[in-house]
Amino acid sequence: MTKNPNTFLTDKKFPFCPGCGHGISINALNKALQELNYTAHDIIVVSDIGCSGLIDPLFATHTIHGLHGRSPALGLGVAMGVAQKQNKKVIAFIGDGGATIGLQHILEAARRNVDMTLIVLNNLLYGMTGGQISGLSTQKFKEIIDFEKDIPPFDLVQLAHASGARFAVRVNAPNKIKDTLKKAIKTKGFSLVEAASLCPSYGMKRMNELIEVVEEENILEHQRPATRIKDQLTTSLLDKTPRITPKYKANLTNRKGILIAGSAGGGAQSVARFLAMAGMYAGLQATMKGEYPITVGTGFSVAEVIFDHNPINYTGLEKPDYFIIVTQDGLIKVKNKLNKDSKIYIEEKLVTDELKEKYSNIIPVAFGKMANRKSTALAATTYVLNKENILPLEALKEAVGTHRLKDIFVEVIEKASQY
Amino acid sequence: METKTPQTTLIDGSKLMIEALVQAGADTFVAYPITPSNWMYKYGKERFPQFYAAPDEITTFQWMAGLSAAGRLPATSSAFPGIALMVESINMAYAMELPVIIIITQRLGPSTGSATTGAQGDLAILNGIISGGYPVPVFSPSNFEDAWELSAKAVETAVNFRTPVFLLTSKEMVMYQKSFDLNKLKPINKVKREQPQIEGEYLPYKAGKNLVPPFIPLGNDQHLVRITASTHDEAANIRKNDPEALANTRRLHDKFIKRIDEISLYELDKQEGSQKILMTWGITADAARDAITQLRNRGEKIDLLILKSLLPVSPEIYKILDSYKKIIIAEENLTGQLKEIMYGARPLPHVKQINKMGNMITPDEIVSGVIQA
Repeated sequence: MTKNPNTFLTDKKFPFCPGCGHGISINALNKALQELNYTAHDIIVVSDIGCSGLIDPLFATHTIHGLHGRSPALGLGVAMGVAQKQNKKVIAFIGDGGATIGLQHILEAARRNVDMTLIVLNNLLYGMTGGQISGLSTQKFKEIIDFEKDIPPFDLVQLAHASGARFAVRVNAPNKIKDTLKKAIKTKGFSLVEAASLCPSYGMKRMNELIEVVEEENILEHQRPATRIKDQLTTSLLDKTPRITPKYKANLTNRKGILIAGSAGGGAQSVARFLAMAGMYAGLQATMKGEYPITVGTGFSVAEVIFDHNPINYTGLEKPDYFIIVTQDGLIKVKNKLNKDSKIYIEEKLVTDELKEKYSNIIPVAFGKMANRKSTALAATTYVLNKENILPLEALKEAVGTHRLKDIFVEVIEKASQY
Repeated sequence: METKTPQTTLIDGSKLMIEALVQAGADTFVAYPITPSNWMYKYGKERFPQFYAAPDEITTFQWMAGLSAAGRLPATSSAFPGIALMVESINMAYAMELPVIIIITQRLGPSTGSATTGAQGDLAILNGIISGGYPVPVFSPSNFEDAWELSAKAVETAVNFRTPVFLLTSKEMVMYQKSFDLNKLKPINKVKREQPQIEGEYLPYKAGKNLVPPFIPLGNDQHLVRITASTHDEAANIRKNDPEALANTRRLHDKFIKRIDEISLYELDKQEGSQKILMTWGITADAARDAITQLRNRGEKIDLLILKSLLPVSPEIYKILDSYKKIIIAEENLTGQLKEIMYGARPLPHVKQINKMGNMITPDEIVSGVIQA
């Protein structure tokens, strides 16, 4: 790629317009890396789109060239990926155009403080598409072009600092860029270097003019160590999943579906899970499925359990054999599913004349008296299992046995079985 | 035959998929939570050697691409709203030829739709997700055994083809629990990722006969590696539309199409003398299995084809289907996305559809759909 062993650059001619400031930063980086005694294999240059993205072929290092505005995120991914190798350094480039596309990526990389350097080549405008202003165009610059002059630019150095960057700096004087980069690259953690850059085609053509319109130089630091990346030792999820060996006998002739309808926080989901496990302790195949609104802490909570001696393929339950309805939320949710063939066990307080008239198959029960609000679903399920003689209650006790509240649950089951 | 003691558990598809990904060699999970893939997020955090909680889905995918380029093997799970944000980045990883695995848990759309309602509505977008119409492998589990095997297959495909791979599943597959004997799970071999031995300069996009360039990660000490998403030649030099660069771009298509047999998976339940076939995929497959039993009990002669790799469509699938007089395609979406991909939007007299949205298609609905067809 290159004939000079001391350079980090290829032999390719810089692709920039004559007088473009980007070349200054690239040469400064090349010198900085030489003085820091890196080798080409240590460095991964990350670039994106826009004039600053044209640097990709210029570097005789590892390179990755991605999407507009994404180099801080792509670069952080690479940095996390190489973090456990010795002496690797990710250096990402972005322009002021990309910096607003990927502003979130910059803040996130600063917050995470994984070791990498982001160089922002700020020429105050979008050079590749016709010189439109950017989010980093200064007010002084915008006064010249008389557009959005009352709107301030983002201050990336302050934003990165506020987000936790180890080192964030704005450098305007070309002769300071190399030493600033050296300091940034040597810093372990996230460093951001915003370098002012000339754009002779659309922006400032001379350095003294540029210095007049850019934001002031600034250096902001946090004394915080770089985030360490390491692999955690984990174990198989399957090994941690309890095995269920049948111990009891179910009293079931054909497939049965049970629907438990309650409210959030009433335990319908965990009761359904216990019920499915109880069936398995009784040698049955089982499925369990829950339904609840996206705001899990409020509204209905409905759970379905299917039992069969044979394997269960389709898991839908259009027509449950048993409804166990314990709250108003639950009733409203399952009202359309009620039918004349199912047995509808329902909290007696919820039974209206209309409901009684429509369904002669409703069975009102005082579930609320059997247990407190949090345990009503378990009490109601115990009651129905007992009345219908589907499973021995011992199987249900076995199922709750793995839970930290098992003693309370067993008490609820025993009490409900007295009704 | 040796009979093993049953290892019966009450388990869910999310757990099986995450465990299979890790056993197959995926080592990093990056995600932003979204219903209905939150169980995978939870298991991913517990099981993967590295886990990153990204602040959004674009960041998720960019981190994954960077991690992958550096030699890790990342996976994520999301649903349509998150996938929509990832699209440009997925194209990037595709062009860079980076192995990553993306689980999509389908939920009811359009837009945010209904997060806790299942669907099969995202196949059409995957068919056109790569600009230019290039194929990307899509696997779709039809039951828990598939959730296990296809997850491992996705990892193997991602590595062996240097590509993003999708696992297209549904809320109903990953958010319910079922009694399941773990003995049914086939052992998974961890995918091999040894650094290839290259003499001389490494050309990162120079492929051999298998059309996939050998992968060497960024930051290795032997070869300088160049990776790019822009149109490029074998050396990863950005070149506009010159012949060498276009040949490289064409290879992105050819590597899948010429090796399609390696990524084509299906289950065919065939009876002697059937002239009708029911074809389905994903969450509708279990209802179809029940429906087929019912139909055969009624004396119907009908075969069942369950596609487990959906894209790109293998010519082998057309060969199977072409021998039937009637094809019935069942899927949980309004328009029939698999049907439109395979046969176009035009109604055809011998291709019938069973579609539904908002609820799973029931076995009874498939039975009546088949009888009416």
